[in-house]
Amino acid sequence: MAFQMISGSQAAATAVQRVGVDLVAAYPITPQTAIVETLADFSAKGELTGEFVSVESEYAALACCNGAAAAGARVFTATASHGLAYMHEMIHWCSGARLPIVMVNVNRTIGAPWCLDPDQGDSLSQRDTGWLQLYCANAQEVFDTVIQAFVIAEELLLPCMVVFDGFYISHTYEAVDVADEDEVRKLVGPPVFAPQVIPGQPGNMHGLSTGETQLKLVKDRHQEMLKLPRLFNEINRAFEKQFGRSYNIVETQIPVGAKRAIVAVGATAETVKWALPVLAETGLIQLRLFRPFPTAEIRQVIEENEITELVVVDRNCSVGMGGIFAQELRSALYELQRPPLVRSLILAGGVDLTEKMLLEILQSTGNEENFALRWGDEF
Amino acid sequence: MRIAELNRQDEMIYPGHNACPGCGAALAVRYLTKTLGKNIALVLTASCWSIISGMPPLTALKCPILHCPFPSAGSVGSGVRRGLDARGLYDTTVVVLAGDGGTFDIGLQALSGAAQRNEDYIFVCYDNEAYMNTGMQTSSATPFGARTNTAPYPLYKEGEKKDIMQIMAAHTVPYAATATVAFPADLEEKLKIAQSIRGFRFIHILAPCPPGWGTESADTIEVSRLAVATGFFPLYEVRNGNEWRLTVPADMKSVSLSEYLGKQRRFKEMDDRRLKKLQHEINRDYERLLDKVAKFSAEV
Amino acid sequence: MLQAPFKETAAYACGTAAISVNKTGEWRFLTPERQIRLSPCRQSCLLQGEVPSWLDAVKRDRWEEAWQIMSRNNPFPALTGHVCFNPCQENCNRDQLDQGIAIRDVEKAIGQWRLNNYQPSKAIIEVRKKIALIGSGPAGLSCAFYLTQAGYAVTVFERSAHIGGMLALGIPEYRLPRKILKGELEILSSEGVVFKTNSNLGSDFDLNDLFAEFDQVFLATGAWIPRMSSIPGEESKAVYNALDFLSNYNTGVPQTLGSTVVVVGGGNAAIDSARSALRVNGVHHVTLLYRRSRLEMPADQSEVEAAEREGVELIFNVLPRSIDPADGRVKGVTVDHSRTDQNGLLVDSSNSFYRECDSVIMALGQIADYSALRNIKSAKTIFAGGDLTSGPSTVPEAIRAGRLAAMAIRSVYENLPEAELEMLSGEAVSFEELNLAAEVNLELQQKESDPQREAERCLGCGTCNSCGICYFFCPDVAVDQVNGKFEFNLDYCKGCGICAKECPSQALVMKGGGM
Repeated sequence: MAFQMISGSQAAATAVQRVGVDLVAAYPITPQTAIVETLADFSAKGELTGEFVSVESEYAALACCNGAAAAGARVFTATASHGLAYMHEMIHWCSGARLPIVMVNVNRTIGAPWCLDPDQGDSLSQRDTGWLQLYCANAQEVFDTVIQAFVIAEELLLPCMVVFDGFYISHTYEAVDVADEDEVRKLVGPPVFAPQVIPGQPGNMHGLSTGETQLKLVKDRHQEMLKLPRLFNEINRAFEKQFGRSYNIVETQIPVGAKRAIVAVGATAETVKWALPVLAETGLIQLRLFRPFPTAEIRQVIEENEITELVVVDRNCSVGMGGIFAQELRSALYELQRPPLVRSLILAGGVDLTEKMLLEILQSTGNEENFALRWGDEF
Repeated sequence: MRIAELNRQDEMIYPGHNACPGCGAALAVRYLTKTLGKNIALVLTASCWSIISGMPPLTALKCPILHCPFPSAGSVGSGVRRGLDARGLYDTTVVVLAGDGGTFDIGLQALSGAAQRNEDYIFVCYDNEAYMNTGMQTSSATPFGARTNTAPYPLYKEGEKKDIMQIMAAHTVPYAATATVAFPADLEEKLKIAQSIRGFRFIHILAPCPPGWGTESADTIEVSRLAVATGFFPLYEVRNGNEWRLTVPADMKSVSLSEYLGKQRRFKEMDDRRLKKLQHEINRDYERLLDKVAKFSAEV
Repeated sequence: MLQAPFKETAAYACGTAAISVNKTGEWRFLTPERQIRLSPCRQSCLLQGEVPSWLDAVKRDRWEEAWQIMSRNNPFPALTGHVCFNPCQENCNRDQLDQGIAIRDVEKAIGQWRLNNYQPSKAIIEVRKKIALIGSGPAGLSCAFYLTQAGYAVTVFERSAHIGGMLALGIPEYRLPRKILKGELEILSSEGVVFKTNSNLGSDFDLNDLFAEFDQVFLATGAWIPRMSSIPGEESKAVYNALDFLSNYNTGVPQTLGSTVVVVGGGNAAIDSARSALRVNGVHHVTLLYRRSRLEMPADQSEVEAAEREGVELIFNVLPRSIDPADGRVKGVTVDHSRTDQNGLLVDSSNSFYRECDSVIMALGQIADYSALRNIKSAKTIFAGGDLTSGPSTVPEAIRAGRLAAMAIRSVYENLPEAELEMLSGEAVSFEELNLAAEVNLELQQKESDPQREAERCLGCGTCNSCGICYFFCPDVAVDQVNGKFEFNLDYCKGCGICAKECPSQALVMKGGGM
């Protein structure tokens, strides 16, 4: 155990240092700058195993990671908001290219207009790109998840995004057990995935393909990604042994007999945890995985606890459809014999979740016009 | 340079690739890979060569090719170099291959970033002066007066051709050079020099495109020769942004610009005013180049 | 063993198989084809030799191939390399660039290679027919070579004790080293040619005898009757005809010419006589008299210049009027001036001089002896060629005559393809037609002394000379290198036409019609 009072961003950077990478490609954007700066510090002190390079844009950062990973290197980058959006083409490419890149995205609203608050739309709108997406609720989770991300990505050969809220997590300080290099590297060995660039022999990587080939490749990725839950549990068992802590795919705190639950992701889940004692007969379901969506695990939780009502806190909004987590849940739970009612609380723009909001929502009778959908500015 | 020697190097390109008959880009890459040898890794961005390289499981080259999205050539190359180094493969030459679009336009940012960081690879731009792969649309490398499918007759490209070499010189890269397929010995020499230096090296190859330029497929070599002779595309090199050397001089007295333009349907009906403007641009740029060359050779 | 880049997606996602399964030759609607056009050297060559082709073979260091090409028209390059006056070099296109090719030197080198590397042919001569050749000069020797090569049994009858005709008796050693001739004759003997010396048609046997024993007869007796001028004093013992003088000189028979010699004539025999006379013991001064101007001399100019350099005094526009005998020898010659106008040669007797000398050599030409053709008992075809039928000519032309005779004789018994007898026609490729802009292989260079390097300078006008430019400029790698030569791979050639456009030699055309 080695505790440091650090922010979420610093925790992410420290995790990268502990794991040992070949390359960090860096481009700054609020609220992620502390990640790249901390890594630069490590590099300056000679504590970063690989190279640290400042590139000219986020797109370049991911492209550089793409090239290095294709050459067989372990790589890392981080971004947020506009930077993530800018990388979008490359994000698709990295998944199709089956490269085990680990990237942290610190949630921040995408304009217009400019806004620094932690809307989750940036990472959620990369939903369909084929990246694994893991959401963290506090700095310790960030540290642990980044480490696990490298193992997962290199095992499944899919890129992995580790996501947490801007400012709430990136800029607030906690006591984080940052372990030490040897311990972490016992768990995460050196990179052993096969490189794609093999000098001395022909190899037309990612050249033009037919739709038929594309179908095969997409199916591969899909089936591979669906292996994550089992792998996640394996890793966490190992983590438990090594560090004495572990995580579940779906975290629940459901009082006996409670038939409704609040679904939250990231920092909002911590808020809900804190408010739970005053919320009558209500539990918390915290999602860690967004991709792959933990369909089986969620269904199990719902069925085992006979949940009839969910209030999904969405710090995002898919304009024209509604909260994204709510949509995904409805979709995942549709085939249940008795799917629960899914109610939406939209806090787009990263608006803060308050106890007041939760109490008011939970006190609804069910006859209100806005029973199913509440906006953060109605309270 | 005797042709017998050039012929002895192994081909790195397979026959059976799908380049158009008379393709200048196919020749450029043939010379490039032949000269640089077996131990190379090619990063290839969206361009004609993305298609010429073949559809997997087929490949047109004997070296590894890593395809990448259009704007990213310069950056992916940076990553590949570092990744290979991380594996201890320091001797593998990384070559980033892009068309004029992936260099001058959508790829300019990545090019500039990589050049500024002095990334250690050879960036080769094969320039057919338009977005040929997508059907001959205007790029910033299209010369003034040329017609394309987004500037079709009676329209024409209005701005001048972007001077990418000056941009590279402004980045003071260790080595930048122009070349073309009609002068393979000159190209070979420049590639060999590039391969012997570390840091960011840039080779700009003019590659005529018969369908896009409206030339006869048999004229590819002749046309690229005329491009050099008319001063339209002088062959030179610049090191560290300020050491300029002419390697194949123009011969404007023996060859007129009209002779060059006359072979290309994309320049059809260049009226006198436009011809004059283009000639003025060529003269101005060539004079400026000669000045720089003279200044440098005076210093030496 | 190729490494699979990543797990599940195997071969279909990464390309390792060559795209050569794609036969792009199917796209073609024009196909490159080699053509052969006349080159200036070939056009001028008295033997119709395929000059650029054997230069190409030498360039590629393929001497056996060079010999094969050479011997199609010229079986004795070592000989001709010494005695031919190289009209081929006069119009060489390379001269318009830097310096013309020293074709003769390369020819000599091929000849030397032949002499050094000769292996008797292992083929058994099918004694198809027996052929008699009369005369062992270049025409006869050439005919012997080609007939023997084709499986005929050849006997060569030579009236003198020496084999070679003009080669042995006419041309001096300094122009043709005798060891070269000896080498060629040894080869012919090894190939099965039977030589009978001291056998004179007319006195030792006649044509009827030949018809009885042989299937065909080729007369190549040359032109050995000297023309004389019938001027007073000509009958003196110290007045020689060039043929006799040279025959004796070249076979080592000692002759006394005194110290001053006058040679009369303007042909090669006159120059040979003058230069040889200088080399005779005791001779200090040789004067050559020619009745017309220097430019009108039939002798080869390089020989004339050589004679001058050696100190022969050349006097033009003069004609001997009479020779002044003395005690069975000669004292001097009276010489008139002459000039040519529209009426012909005019002699001006008022303008004359006396030149003292000890001997005179008359080199006024030769004529052929047809006496053997009388008294033939049966009507039979006789073949004849060389100086016998053309009048005094050159060694290469005689060799050509011998080859044509061999073809003609063979045609009696065999069905020979037309091409063997045909000459390439059309305009020779001019310098302007060559596409020399392909920068890769051209450097201005002076003549190289090494024959292989000299052969590299040949531009191959009208003939493929393996410069490799078609290979080099092919975007589709559809030209293969095979033994230093270049062949089109029609499986992949898309017919773009760059090769034909860039071919420096005018040796390639695009023909309509694809796969």
